[in-house]
Amino acid sequence: MDFTTLKAKGLVRGMTALPSARAEFPFGLGQPGLHEIAEGAYGDRAAATGFLLAIIGQRLRGAWIWVRQTSIARDSGEVLDAALPGCPARLRLTVQARDAHAALWAAEEAVVSGAASLVIAEVERSDFTSSRRLTLASTRHGVPVVLILPYDCEGATAAASRWRLTSRLSAPNRHDPQAPGHPRWRAVIERCRAFPSAAGQAFDLEWNYETLSLSMVSGLAAGPPAAYPAAGEDRFRRTG
Amino acid sequence: MAANAPARAVGIGPGLRLADAKATLPDLLSEEIDRTADLVSLTALAIWMMRFSPLVALDGEDALLVETTGCDHLFGGEEGLAAEMSLSLARAGYGHRIAIAGTPGAAHALARDTGQGGAPVLPPGQERQGLAHLPMVTLRLSPEALTLLRRFGLTRIGQLYDIDRKALVQRFRSRHAADAVCLRLDQALGRCAEPFAPLRPPPEHAERLPCPEPLTSSEGISAGLGQLTEKLCAALAMAGLGAHSFTFSALRSDGGASTVTVNAARPVCTPGHVLRLFREKTGRIDPGFGIDLLLLEAGRTGPMATGSRPLSGGLAGAGFDAEAIADLADRITARLGEGSVTLAVRKARHPPDKAERQVAFAGQESEPAQPLLPGSRPIRMLGRPEQVFVIAQVPDGPPLQFIWRRRLRKAVRADGPERIAPEWWTYLPPAPGERGRLPRTRDYYLIEDSEGRRYWVFREGLYGDDRGAAPEWFVQGIFA
Repeated sequence: MDFTTLKAKGLVRGMTALPSARAEFPFGLGQPGLHEIAEGAYGDRAAATGFLLAIIGQRLRGAWIWVRQTSIARDSGEVLDAALPGCPARLRLTVQARDAHAALWAAEEAVVSGAASLVIAEVERSDFTSSRRLTLASTRHGVPVVLILPYDCEGATAAASRWRLTSRLSAPNRHDPQAPGHPRWRAVIERCRAFPSAAGQAFDLEWNYETLSLSMVSGLAAGPPAAYPAAGEDRFRRTG
Repeated sequence: MAANAPARAVGIGPGLRLADAKATLPDLLSEEIDRTADLVSLTALAIWMMRFSPLVALDGEDALLVETTGCDHLFGGEEGLAAEMSLSLARAGYGHRIAIAGTPGAAHALARDTGQGGAPVLPPGQERQGLAHLPMVTLRLSPEALTLLRRFGLTRIGQLYDIDRKALVQRFRSRHAADAVCLRLDQALGRCAEPFAPLRPPPEHAERLPCPEPLTSSEGISAGLGQLTEKLCAALAMAGLGAHSFTFSALRSDGGASTVTVNAARPVCTPGHVLRLFREKTGRIDPGFGIDLLLLEAGRTGPMATGSRPLSGGLAGAGFDAEAIADLADRITARLGEGSVTLAVRKARHPPDKAERQVAFAGQESEPAQPLLPGSRPIRMLGRPEQVFVIAQVPDGPPLQFIWRRRLRKAVRADGPERIAPEWWTYLPPAPGERGRLPRTRDYYLIEDSEGRRYWVFREGLYGDDRGAAPEWFVQGIFA
């Protein structure tokens, strides 16, 4: 019996009901709880970051705490403020940590302090114990936590969902066929605790950075149809 | 040359050559004087002497001047203070002579008077009689002045009292204090003020906790720290101040000291917060053979930001609780080190690596994320541009394929160039005849490769701009 049925029967009364994860995209990403986003292959970290910011989008105000391991900062770079137009956060703090343990500790401190409205942690590895602690802290304090993991993360996790991001060829550019258009990604939800049947679904997404909207695109066509000559020309020439 | 008591008993003292000294006593142990090491250990001793008074200064190469006004009652009077100092120094293994007087000059003179034993204490107002019999050497004069005075037959300080003051001033007029005999005399007798420059400026807010027995356990240290924090924060709160940094020192009975400092982004005066910051670091206090005194000082005080705290961060106008954020930043900094919590500060400058910088978070507000200058920027920008090897059409073409991090990437689409010239107002052209490297114009391209990843690649320099060799290519960032 799920929660809505229980409530309908009057067996459960919510005091301040948290918005529950819905069985549709994005499966609770952006709600309180721990979610993980992993890159599909080495070099997709920028796609993972872009996907995260597209989903979290315009909703979360307040202070964002971004915890990053120094090795990841050196490898993939810092996140630029100038690339977050329209970001609703009033304060974005970056925390640099030397190792994964310190980074996860800092993330937990940020959640427990109650001062942050979103905590993002980029660590090189995460194990079941630390993900369990973060999940408990996150649901208790109502702060969404997102871990951005490298491509070689495997294994059990206590997170509510795990996504894997790969970048795809971008959309055709309306103004200039030679230029890249809106970024496109392929997001596969690998694990989902609330809706296990949804695991394995792949979504092909396009992020329009001008209108700040995320849309789904077909997985097939990558560009506009190419012009080709009409089929009948050959026949006319032969008879002439 | 300096000799210790057994050597002096045999007759070896200053003025004797080393060869003669060794001839007198073949088993003599001698070492070269190392003034830097002496200075280091004298400074350490001065810091340890802060248990008696916070104002300690170095006096020459082998003496310390301690300002004891208001501190002597803690030790039962000046004699008690002198006895306590003597005992502590003897336990630490230093040979010493102590003298207490009302002026620095008189104290200096009394301490150097080797004829008298014990620790002379000169009550204020009695400098004239007390100093009369002391030799002139103790008056801090230069050798030339001393020679001149000896020629006049003046060897005791008391003989100066009878000489006509105007004649003395006339004869020994100099801008150097060591040559000005009258100035030194007035300073010693208290007629002229003398500035006192302590080794460390005394803190305005400090609390001390002397330990009746030497403290060795960490629970004792934590309990002492808790008590001191409560008292200090109460004192700060009463004055309406908060402090940015707190320094906790533990002075050991064997002459050493351990210090731990914590910093806060905003002025704080809540004991709970300060104790939480110290919790990570109290492990670094080394009790040694026992701690005699615990000191807590508050530095960089400032007025507390008064105002009512909102019930929740959402109600505040800023949308977040600034105090809670500052607390969190302090805790993270205390554990991970200085500079771990940073905020991005943006400037309206064209070169993208200078447009945004990370500065340590110190409680400041951040501006909304609006780009100051036009142009699309990558979501991740590398700290240092990495060189790539590019095949591109000369002079202005975008890269067709490039090698970065040992992988060949073929460009499918490209956009650009965005030309960013160096800021001409930030550098001077080299003088004619001098060779200098001028900064070069950069052309930024947004490249998409066959796997869909998008890079921000730039070419440093233009072909034919006369500012160096053929231009090189670098990757600056990656787009989402």
